[in-house]
Amino acid sequence: MSTTQSTKNCITLRGSAQIIVEYLKYGINSILFQRGIYPPETFENTQQYGITILMSKDKKIEEFLSNVLQQTEDWLAKNMIEKISMVITNAHTKEVLECWDFKMQAELGDGETGDATKLTSSKELKRIQNEIRDVMRQISATVSYLPLLDCICTFDVMLYTLQNCEIPEKWDETGAVFIQNAQAVQLRSFSTGLHKVDTVVNYKMAS
Amino acid sequence: MENIKSNFDKIMEKFNDSMTHSAPKKLSFEYLTDSFNDSGTLPKKRRHDNSNISCDDSNASVSSIPPSPWETRRIKADLIEAKSRISKLKTEIERQHKLRAEVETLYESKVTELKKQCDFSANKVQDVEKHLQVVRKREHGAKQELLRTQRELTQLKHRYEEELHKLQRDKLEIEDHSRQMQNSMENELSEYRRHTDKLEMELQLLTDEMTNLKSVLNEYKQHSSSYETLKIEHEKEQQELEVANSRIKELEYQIASYEDWKEITKKSQTRLLSIPDMDKELERLRTNNKNLQELLGNKLLLEEQVHDLKNRLAREEGGRNEAVALQVKLSHMEQELKDWIKVAQDHCLPNMLVSPMALRSRIEQLLQNDIIMISEKRNTQSETKSIKSDLLDYKQKCEIYVKNIEELNVALKRHKNFKERIQRKLFLVSKERDCYKQLLENFEKDLTFSNANHAVDGGNGDVQLRSRLDMLEKTLVGYKDMCSNLEKELTNAKQLPVADQSIENVISTETYEHIKKELDTMRLENERLRRRKEELELELEHRCLKGDFNVGKFKVVHLAQNPAAEAYENSNNLIEKLQAEIERLKRRNKKLEEDNEVTQARMNETTNMTINIKEMNQLRAELEATNSKMKKMKECYKSASMEFREVCYLLFGYRVDRLGLNTNYKLSSMYAESPDDYLNFRLNESNNALDMLETPYSITLKPFIESQLVGNKSLPAFLSALTLELFQRSTMTMS
Repeated sequence: MSTTQSTKNCITLRGSAQIIVEYLKYGINSILFQRGIYPPETFENTQQYGITILMSKDKKIEEFLSNVLQQTEDWLAKNMIEKISMVITNAHTKEVLECWDFKMQAELGDGETGDATKLTSSKELKRIQNEIRDVMRQISATVSYLPLLDCICTFDVMLYTLQNCEIPEKWDETGAVFIQNAQAVQLRSFSTGLHKVDTVVNYKMAS
Repeated sequence: MENIKSNFDKIMEKFNDSMTHSAPKKLSFEYLTDSFNDSGTLPKKRRHDNSNISCDDSNASVSSIPPSPWETRRIKADLIEAKSRISKLKTEIERQHKLRAEVETLYESKVTELKKQCDFSANKVQDVEKHLQVVRKREHGAKQELLRTQRELTQLKHRYEEELHKLQRDKLEIEDHSRQMQNSMENELSEYRRHTDKLEMELQLLTDEMTNLKSVLNEYKQHSSSYETLKIEHEKEQQELEVANSRIKELEYQIASYEDWKEITKKSQTRLLSIPDMDKELERLRTNNKNLQELLGNKLLLEEQVHDLKNRLAREEGGRNEAVALQVKLSHMEQELKDWIKVAQDHCLPNMLVSPMALRSRIEQLLQNDIIMISEKRNTQSETKSIKSDLLDYKQKCEIYVKNIEELNVALKRHKNFKERIQRKLFLVSKERDCYKQLLENFEKDLTFSNANHAVDGGNGDVQLRSRLDMLEKTLVGYKDMCSNLEKELTNAKQLPVADQSIENVISTETYEHIKKELDTMRLENERLRRRKEELELELEHRCLKGDFNVGKFKVVHLAQNPAAEAYENSNNLIEKLQAEIERLKRRNKKLEEDNEVTQARMNETTNMTINIKEMNQLRAELEATNSKMKKMKECYKSASMEFREVCYLLFGYRVDRLGLNTNYKLSSMYAESPDDYLNFRLNESNNALDMLETPYSITLKPFIESQLVGNKSLPAFLSALTLELFQRSTMTMS
């Protein structure tokens, strides 16, 4: 986090991207644990944002998330991402059961400057982290109303980027996902001053 | 300090005294000077007197003789000197005083400091003493602890040593035990080995016995087979016997039947004689029979006819009942038909033919009408709805109009107020005008008066008056102008409200209405659009929440190597594997079905395998049973054979012994002279006869052999003769 603040109480676009990526890392891991997509014994406790978050110990998942989030950070710093979706699907039927959307909205922070890449925000890191903590708590609380996933599930992370965005190696273009008979619940949002992040969970209504 | 202070005080007192009594001082100074001069050699009293005298003298000199200038100067100088000395001393004293105060303060501060230090040191000392005590206590405690720990140490040492000893002893015991165990184990092992050796030997013995028993069993089997052949032969002979017996019986029967035949022939001959009578009788009976048959046929015909008629009657009765029911029904139907026709006549046109078709067309028409009515009703309903909505609109409009009217009323009131105000103003203005007019008249009057006066006066006042007149005229003109202006204004003011009102009226009646309408429509439109917008926003939000996005603007990317893809691949692999497995199993199933018999056999085998153990156990048990049975049989046979041999020996006087495997038999007589006297026979299997073999004893029996065997060709005779011979011989010896 040392690079997040170039000076005191000053967040750059890249720093904002880093904060969001960190949130995504903890958020996705928390969802993986809470929704029981991987067995609980493959998770370990970590303290972050003043709460305990369970992080996966699986090497494959860690590698996948680090790859995805690195790319996400690059694009976020250029404001090229509209939203990030974590899709939970049935491993056998490929049916989409849940979709966690993290919607990004660019904000102006301290104000307009000549160069869009030199925008800064003077929002305190502590406040941002408190906002993130509230969202994380809500994610944990969603288990009470989301339907039980009683089949073998898997997940994927999809980035909704601008059309002019170049697709790097090992990345593919894919289609949007749709959930039949879906129900959407919007959680709290948080803002770094340069990005506003809305967290929405879409889930399949139990028939 | 106190001493110092008191000393100082004393000094001060003295000084003060000296200061307060200045006169003596002066004297003393004089005296001092005197003393300086006289060098103090005079006694005290004398000096005192002298001084008094001198004083007197001086007083006297002052009073009597004026002092000399030198003296005065000297005195003055002395005085000055004294004064200066006094001042110096004073300053000195003050200095001293200050010094003292300083010193005092210093001392005090020092004293307090020292006191503090002293207290501090005392405290420190106390603390140190306490500390020392504590330390001593601690030291004492530590020493005690040390002693205790040492004692404990020694105790522990002792204990551990004891334990060590104990453990060593245990260890030795365990070693002994282990050695014993080993020895015992070795002993046991050797015992077991011996036991196994013994068992092996026993096993071998048993197997040998078994082979022997098997051979014996084979022999027995052979014997049994020979017995069976004998039995079969016997049965054959019996059958032959039976056949012969049956033949004999047949023949006897034939003989008996022959006699019967003879009697039968006699009887038949008698019968043959009575045949013509019987023929006649037959003829008669035949005709009778024919008649009877005819009668029977007639009777059957009649019966059939009766039956037929009965059936017909029953049917007819059923038909009649039916007909009655049908008639009733018909009448009912006719009634109904009439009703229907009446209904049709009621409903059809009067000049039209009454028919079902017409009725149907009528009904269809009615239905169509009904449909039309329903559609009309719907239309009217929709119309009413639209009218209702219109009504609502109108109501809204009406409300708006009422509001407008209220607004207009308010405006009207305002205007009325305005009008009243203007009228009041007008009134005021007109009054003012009247006032001015009066004033003007007054002036004119005045003017005429003055003119008249002036005309009377004349002279210099004339010029004055003229100038004044001019002035007044000017002012009058000004007033007139003003008046006209005011009047104009008044007219304007009078006209203006009317004009405004009219204009406003025009606006309110035409454009205002129009504008209002427009405004209303705009408002309605606005509301409608707002609602639509809200709806759309809601939908947009909903869709946004559901993850809808602008396809043209964004694209979706993901890492090719993601957990989902991996999981899909895994599941696919799994499915393929399972399908392959299914295929394999299907094939196997098919094969199994094809080779059902084989499997059945295999199944049997497998069952056999399971059964085998049981069977084996069973067989073993059987074997044991048979073995015991055999043993019993053997004993039984043995005893029986022994008995048989004994009986044979007792009955025929010969002991028969079977020698070896060859069918050799040794015969020794009861009356033989020595055990070596025996005969040897061998069974010749070819002609089923016994061959006599040569023995040392047989050689001595040549005459017997020649007489009995060669002559009579009978072994029993030979043996009986030999017995008799030997018996006689023995009796001879006995006697």
